[in-house]
Formats: sequence, structure tokens, C-alpha cells
Amino acid sequence: MQSLQLRQMVLMPLLLALVAPNAGAASEVPRPLGVPLAKASLYQPRAGEDSWTCLDGSRTIPFSHINDDYCDCADGSDEPGTAACPQGQFHCVNKGHQPVNIPSSQVQDGICDCCDGSDESGTVGCPNTCLELGAAAAVQRRNAAELHKRGAERRQEMISRGKQMKAEREARRLELDQRRKEQELLRAEKEQLKQNAEALEAEAIEIFKEQQREVDADTAQAEREPQQMRQEASLTFVRYDTNKDGFVEVTELMVDMNLDRDRNGVVTVEEAKYFLDERERVDLDAFVTLAWPRIKSLQMLAEGLFQPPQPEEVAQQAEVTTEAIQPTPPKLSEEQAELAGDDDIEADEEGEEDQYDDEEPDVGVGEASPDVEDATPPNYDPETQRLIQQANEARNALEEVERSLREIQQEVNEIEEQNNKGYGLTEEWAVHDGQCYNFEDREYVYTLCPFDRASQKSRSGGPETTLGRWDKWSGEPKQYSQQKYTNGAACWNGPNRSAIINISCALEPKVTAVSEPNRCEYYFEFETPAACDSEAYQSESENLHDEL
Amino acid sequence: MLIVSYRAQRTAGVYWQNAAETWVDIQTSETNVVSSLVNFVSGSQKTPPPAAHFMSESGIVDAFIMLGPKPMDAFKQYAALTGTHELPQLFALAYHQSRWNYNDERDVTSVSAKFDEYNIPMDTMWLDIEYTDGKRYFTWDKFKFPHPLAMIKNLTELGRHLVVIVDPHIKRDNNYFFHRDCTDRGYYVKTREGNDYEGWCWPGAASYPDFFNPVVREYYASQYALDKFQTVTADVMLWNDMNEPSVFNGPEITAPKDLIHFGNWEHRDVHNLYGHMHLMGSFAGLQQRDPNQRPFILTRAHFAGSQRYAAIWTGDNFADWSHLQHSVKMCLTEAVAGFSFCGADVGAFFGNPDTELLERWYQAGAFLPFFRAHAHIDTKRREPWLFPERTRQVIQNAVIKRYSYLPLWYTAFYELELTGEPVIRPLLAHYPLDKEAFGVDSQLLVQDRLLVRPVMQQGVSKVDVYFPAIDDKKNSDWWYDVDTYQRQERSGYVSVPVDDFKIPVWQRGGSIVPKKERQRRASTLMLHDPYTLIICLDRQGKAAGSLYLDDEKSYAYRQGQRIHVNYEFAHDQLVNSFVGKPKYKTLAWIERIVIAGLEKVPSSASITVNGVSQQLEVLQHDNTVVVRKPGVKMDVDFAIKLNFA
Repeated sequence: MQSLQLRQMVLMPLLLALVAPNAGAASEVPRPLGVPLAKASLYQPRAGEDSWTCLDGSRTIPFSHINDDYCDCADGSDEPGTAACPQGQFHCVNKGHQPVNIPSSQVQDGICDCCDGSDESGTVGCPNTCLELGAAAAVQRRNAAELHKRGAERRQEMISRGKQMKAEREARRLELDQRRKEQELLRAEKEQLKQNAEALEAEAIEIFKEQQREVDADTAQAEREPQQMRQEASLTFVRYDTNKDGFVEVTELMVDMNLDRDRNGVVTVEEAKYFLDERERVDLDAFVTLAWPRIKSLQMLAEGLFQPPQPEEVAQQAEVTTEAIQPTPPKLSEEQAELAGDDDIEADEEGEEDQYDDEEPDVGVGEASPDVEDATPPNYDPETQRLIQQANEARNALEEVERSLREIQQEVNEIEEQNNKGYGLTEEWAVHDGQCYNFEDREYVYTLCPFDRASQKSRSGGPETTLGRWDKWSGEPKQYSQQKYTNGAACWNGPNRSAIINISCALEPKVTAVSEPNRCEYYFEFETPAACDSEAYQSESENLHDEL
Repeated sequence: MLIVSYRAQRTAGVYWQNAAETWVDIQTSETNVVSSLVNFVSGSQKTPPPAAHFMSESGIVDAFIMLGPKPMDAFKQYAALTGTHELPQLFALAYHQSRWNYNDERDVTSVSAKFDEYNIPMDTMWLDIEYTDGKRYFTWDKFKFPHPLAMIKNLTELGRHLVVIVDPHIKRDNNYFFHRDCTDRGYYVKTREGNDYEGWCWPGAASYPDFFNPVVREYYASQYALDKFQTVTADVMLWNDMNEPSVFNGPEITAPKDLIHFGNWEHRDVHNLYGHMHLMGSFAGLQQRDPNQRPFILTRAHFAGSQRYAAIWTGDNFADWSHLQHSVKMCLTEAVAGFSFCGADVGAFFGNPDTELLERWYQAGAFLPFFRAHAHIDTKRREPWLFPERTRQVIQNAVIKRYSYLPLWYTAFYELELTGEPVIRPLLAHYPLDKEAFGVDSQLLVQDRLLVRPVMQQGVSKVDVYFPAIDDKKNSDWWYDVDTYQRQERSGYVSVPVDDFKIPVWQRGGSIVPKKERQRRASTLMLHDPYTLIICLDRQGKAAGSLYLDDEKSYAYRQGQRIHVNYEFAHDQLVNSFVGKPKYKTLAWIERIVIAGLEKVPSSASITVNGVSQQLEVLQHDNTVVVRKPGVKMDVDFAIKLNFA
């Protein structure tokens, strides 16, 4: 009457709040609207008083202020059943289905959020759909439980297969360790044989060289390294350039009696000019290229260096000329082998290429055969040839052992790598390694090869684009519910591509969807029995029931 | 082209009406070299008045002088000349979530659901060009969006809206009905030789409807009818982009000047009107589609008067701090030139803002009239939940704050339609006697009630805020921090500390601001929610302020279905008085009254309605007094008196 135009104290929610629909079952303990059963006891007036204290203790208010559509408590605890408090929570009982908490912002907003309709007053007319939803959810749960159960059987097979594979890997690993020991002994033996053979070979070649050297002396001279020549020339230039003006003049040369070519006791202007390419003076560069070649021999003659060539030079020379028949030094070949090995791991995309990579060092190292020679082979005498042949055989024998060791190491690495990938708690994922699963959409064929890579290929052809390489398990909180593949092909103007694989339980392994919500970040939905865990599923759904 | 010149004593403006390419030289005493030279030679101290020199490529001299004398007078005179915004639907003033592009139906629905999961209000999802079938507007990509109506329903059932982009370039494809119609009927803009002009834009080869032709506008408008464009509903609104028009292979990326329009006008004569004519067609289309809904259109191109049809945004900005600063300057400029409904892409179109820049951008955007987050297709996704929790909370906070002030924004837009007074204003609009306030462009006023100084620098723990003087003696209004109700009483710069969450906003002493402090997932769901009145007292212990409300959606307000009410507080009493009859029926009521600036705390309050009084509880809270739950409905006369024991 008097307050017709004053708003009644939000009558409807208040009534709903204080009178619980049906008293009886434990879940229907009378309590204000929006309060979960667990908190029912907190909503009692103080003994002997009509007052109540906010759950955060901040204020004491009349008990009638609870759910009166005005926010009195800072924590919103006085309005569990209205939208009055900004950060409040409303508890839907949802009898027959699952109870949920919704933010108070969704209470009385005209949208039915609770299946029992308790978040909206009667005017909106939310139907109670909890029984239907509950039944549907029960069916869904049963189906899911069944799926998990049947899936778990397959998973069991995957587990035994995985465990078997792991056992095989371990056995193989032991076998490899054993073989490695054998091969290492063998290597020591072959190493010794090789050294012996090479000593004989080197000796024979040395003798042969000795004979050849005189013939080749001039050529050898010519082939001296330009670098060394420049250094010598520069030193001489400095010596000649007595006035330090950066040029060597005719007069500066005339003091060097070594340049007296006709040995008449005087270095004439003409004689000096000859050495300067008929110029008055030369700078350092011109000296190195034009003057030094003419001066050098005379100087060496004077220093007595010309006749017997320097020992180091000889050694260098020997190597250069024998290169064709000498095998590449073992050290180098090992590096090459390592390189090739690295490629092996990384070059999946260019699978064909690594075959060549593998072969290259083999050819180079294995046989120092005449057919690789570019230069004309020195014509060794038969005895030297025999010794070289023997040395080659010894080298090849050693190399074979070393190759075998490398192969063993490679296989050991592969096993280690597999062990480190993490095939799940019980090895159930192991069988997926090495498999690939495709998914086609309108434009692309996507491929997921678990533990290796995710990729994409246009349906209209073209090259495959790597979306990511195996990185890690990344599920939170369940680690084995998500995989991450990173470091895929770079996006134009963007990051490297990457892929997240969301995993769920099904009877057959299959990619069911691929999307790219973020540019160059792909999401795969992958189903597999490996993700079916009957027990975990059951305990989860039991937890849900507990809340009821 | 509008130029307004301010002096403490007098403000005047000139509006140069010309749609051709126009250059303006502005000469002030500082920049005018010749005059300073003359003064130097002649020894004169007299500085010439500032001058503007307009140069248009073609057309006639058609200029309008606005005599002021105060800045607000000049703004209103310009509005009287060119028109004002229609009151928008409330949702248009709420938060918009956009991206180029939400990829498919699932993406749209799940982004909408995430806003609920994280309890962040959001009203409108936007679809950029990729929703179409090959950039053929009025069609959908059938693979990504096979069920647009179901997707739209998912949004509208939650009180949300969808906005789709419809650009003016038309794909030249003989299987595309729109292109066939335009070709057959000669609706396209023509080349000098009389052929259909063909340019290059998003669809590839494209032509441009000649919106100068009323028949073309009518045809265009008719395409929005729901029996034609069957895959949308009347709740789907419009985004008109690229309507300068953009032509990728054209001179200056637009149409050649020698194209021929309806009535034999060369493009050079009417270039700047093309977007405006496009808007006229769109606006008519939406009005005809559903005469009961106020259209919402966002446009990029606009001309004097386009404010009658659309909102604007500041175009393709970059993720850096200077562009954040420019968003305030640009929108203030637009606002005093008749275009209040302005905003910038929150977070920026290009680039990836770091969390700090994104947070500050949301906070600034929450206090500009048009509040939309948008991003380029090459940027990383940046919906609020993709960031660390703290960033998400800062964003949530800013968005909730925006929603709490929606009654003020809505009232301001109604009063803009009524009077032509800009919704946001530079300080000089209300403080013309304070010369130092003229140059302040990092602060804005919302009407004359709020002063906003967004944080727009990186890594700052305080900002300098200028409190303007009301006279030339440095007297000032009182300003109350809206978070703490701490009061600023003097004019001049004040260094104000800010943390991550702080948006420096003050309410003017002497003003009353209506708010809605209950959170909802969308503004449309707040329709019946109760109001809070924030009363900040001036030096005389007085305050006044208005509130406008209606159904927030239809044109019924023009038939009187509205409530426009003034609240006045004086002598410890709050009374309301209606402007016209309060005919709109609402369930909303007044939930609380917050009073800042009282000298004593009252013991209680009493409300009197129709001669009947009732006692109300009064609570002290921070620096304010809160009158608890007056509970009075919005269309009822009342008086609330504070009682002091």
C-alpha cells in the first residue's frame, strides 16, 4: 500500500531463499538460495539474536539482509542467491544432475544457467531440465566408461607390446655393449697392423720421393706457397728500402752485390733496373709480384739455400704429390662420419640426401683406389706399390672396424633417444613411434607421426611443410594428454610453426581434427586407445558424484 | 573541413564544405615567418591573428562561420549544421571483441564462451572479411561458417551481438549476383570512357557501386532485407571498411580522380563523400530491415555529417605507446568536430603489444566512446585469457569499469543527440579561461562529469595530471578520485601514483554520475539492473546530474518511451525532477547512493515518496557516505533527506 512505488524488498528471491523447496533428503537442508550444502551451517542467525556475520568477518548485519538483493559483505557472502555482489558465487543444486557454481553475474539475468532454473526467478520461466540432462549425462558417462573399458583392453595390448619393445631395446643394448667391447679390442689390433704397414709404406715412398725430388725441384720451387713468398719478399723489401719511403729504387738495389749478374763487381743501373722490371722504383706490391721472383734465386744462391731444399718443404711436397694414393687421414674421416651421422638424425625431410651423405665418407675413406685419382699417379716401382697396397688394406681393415663401432654407437644413441622420449607411464605409446596418421581437410593433408613430426601438405601437391618436430609431453595436469611439436618451418614474417596434439581415448588411433587458431600454431585432435584409462576415468566420475 | 580557434574570451570556427582534395595552411604567430620578419623590420610588437588558408582542388567556396563565443557554443553550432549521432543501442557502447579473423563458427562460439568462463563482460563479436565466400559480401564461406544462423543464435541467446564486415568493393565474378546486378543495371562507377571502372582490392578484380546514385543506394539498402540476406538476423550489425574507397592499384591507393559518378561528377569533385554515400545506403538498409532497431555501423571513411549514420575508429594503428597516445588525441579532435562515437583498436591492429601496453590500452579504451579490441591476421591471438592471470585481471577490471559507467555513456549520447554537445571533450570545452588547459591532449572529459587521464607511457609509477582552473585566478573545481574519493582541490599539475590496475579518473565536485555496479556478461542483460548514484559535492555542498534511460534498442524513445531525469543535491537533500513525462516502463530501481564530500556523517536518511516517508540505513565507506537501498523505481518522484543526530 504505502510502498507501492517503493520497491518491495525484492520479494521473490527472498521467499525462494528462505524456504527450501522440499525438506527431506540431506541435500535439501533448508538454507538460503545459492548456498551449497557444505556451507548450509554457516547461514544461521547468531544465537538469540537476529544478526549474522559476513563469512569474512568484516561486518555483522541483520539476518534478514541475507539475499535481500543488496550487497553488504565485502566478500559477497550475504548474497549467495542474487546478483547484488560483484564477485559472488551462486550454487545450483541441480538435483538429478551435477551441481555447479556459477558467478553471481549470471543470476537473474534472464538466461537459464542452472538446469533446475534456480538462478532465475519464475518470470523468466526456466524449465527444470536436470532429470533429462542427468539421464543424458549418465548415458554419456556409461558410454564413455564403456569406451574407456574397451579402449583400455587395447591399451593393455599396447602396453605389453611397448614393454616387449622396451625389453627388446634393452636386450639389444646389452648386445651392442658386448659387440662394442669386441670391436674395440679388434680396433686396437687393426690399429697396430696399420701402423706397421704405414711405416713400411712411408719408408718406401720416401725413398721413391727422394729419387723423384731432384727431377721435381724446379716445379717444387714454383709451387711454394705464395703466402710464404710474400713474407720473404716483404722482409727483403724492407731491407732494400733504406730511405724508408715505401719504394725500392734503382739506387737502393745497386748496393747489393748479389745482384751483379755479370759478376763484373758493379751492379749497374741496367742490372738493377732488370730486377725492377725496367722501372725506376717499385712499391711493395710491385716488388712482390715483379721484382722478388727475379731477385729471390740470386739471394738464395748467395745464402746457400738453393741447393739442398729445406726438409719441411720436402715433407710438404711429399704430401702434395702422394695425396692421390694416400687415404684421407683417419681423423678427418671420423669428422666426416660424424657429420654424416648428424645428418641422419636431422635430415628426415631430405631422406634421399642422407644416403649420399652416408656413402661419401665410405668411398673417400674405404678404398684409396686408383679410380678416385684426378692427378696422374706417380709411377711407383712394383715393390713400393706392393707396400702401399698392404698399407691400404690395413687402413681399410681398421676403418671397417671403426665404421662398425660408429654404427653401434648410432644404434645405442637411437635406443637412448627412444628411452628418453617417454612412451607413457607404462610404455603404452611405444607402438605409435614410427607410425603416421593422416587427416584431410578442404585444403591440406595433415600428417602426425608421433614422436617424430607433424606436417602439412597441400592437397593440390607441392612440398610438405613441417609444422613441428617432436618436443615433449606438455599436458597439464595430466602430462600424457598433450604433446608438443616445435621448431617447424618458419612462417613468412612470423614464428616457426608449432603443433599441439590434444589426445583423447578411442578404439582406433586417428587424427580427428586440425585447426590453426593462432597463425602458425596448429592444434591436432588425436584419438588413441593409449589414452583410455578405465580406472582413472572411473575415479574421476566418482569424484563428480561425490559432490552430489 | 572544420577549424575552431580558441581564445580565452572568444571561440570561433569555420566549416569549409568541400569534398575535393583540400589543403589547409594554418598560420599562427609562432609559425608565420613572414609576419615575424615584418615585425622585426618594423619594430612592431603586434602579432597578427592566426589564420587558415583553405585550398580545394575543385568546387565552390562554401564556408560557414560559427561565432561561439564559448567553445561549447561553437561545437553545438557545428552540430546544428551537420547533425548529431542518433542515440546508439546500448550494446554499441559496451565492449566489442574483434579480430581479423575469427576463423570459423567454432572459434566464434568458443571465444564467446571463454568470456563467460573468465567472467569478463563482452557484448559483440566481430567478423572480418574472411567469413565471406571469397570476399563476396552478403555471402558466407560455407565451409568455415556452414550454419551462420545457429552461430548467431548462440550469441544472441546470451544477449550478445554479431557485427559483420561489408565493404564497398564488389568482386568481379559473373556468378556473383551482386556483381551481375550492378553490371546489368549500370550501377558501377564509370571510367572517363564510360566503362565500369575496375580496380584491385580484397576480392581481386573489383568494381565500386556508385552510391551517389539514389537508385544504387536503394538497391544496396534492399540487399540487407532479411528475405535477401537470409543468413543473418536483425541483431547482426555492420562494419563498412575500405570505403574511401580503397583501391590497391589506384593512385594514392584510392580511385582515380577522373572516374565519373552519377550526375556526371568527376571523382575529384566528390572523393571525400564516397564513404558517406556508402553509409547512407547501409544505414537505410538496416533501418528498413528492422524499423524497430537503431542501426549500428562502424565506418572508416567519413565526411562532415557522417556522424548521423555511424561510429568510426582511428584506422590501422601500431602496437606502440605513441599510437596509444594518439588514440586519445584523435578521438578528441573528432569529438569536437561532431564525431563523438570514436575509438581506436585496443591492443593495436599491427604488431604484438606486450602485456603492459595491452593492459594500458584496455584501460584507455574503456574511457573512449567506442571500445573495441581488434588485431591483424598476422598477430598473435590476444584474447584476455591467453595472458598471465594478472594481465587478465587488469583487463577484466577495465572492462567491468566500462560497464559500470554505461548509464553515463548512454545518457551522454542521448544528450548529444538532443543538444550537439560532444560526449568526450577536451579540457578547454569547460575551462576556456585556463590557457594552460588548451594544449592538454592526454586527458579527456566525459561530458563535464569525469576527468580521465589514461596511463599511456611505459613503466611509469605515476602520471602528471592537469586539473584545470575555472577562472584566470587558478581557482578550480574539486575533483574526486573515483576509486578512493580522495579530493583534488587546486588547479595545476599533480603527480598521481598509479599501479597496474589504476585508471586515473576523477569525478567533478558538483556532479552526480549514474552507474550500474552489478556485473553481467553483456550490457543487454543489465537492462533491469538497479542504479547507483555517485554524488560528489562541490564547495557549496551541492551537486547535480542527469540520467537517461529507455529500452536501449528501439526508436520508441522518440515516441516518448523514455525517462530523462535530473538529480539535484543541496542542503543535505537529494531530489529528482523529470524532463518531460517519464513514460518508459522499467523494473530498474536505485540500489545505492554514494555521497562524497559531506562534512559530517549523517545518522540516517529518509526517503519520501508521495508524502510517505521511510527510514534508510546510512553506512560510512572509505571517504564516502552510502545510503543503503533506497529501492525507489526510476520513474517516481522522490526526495531523500540526510538526518544528522
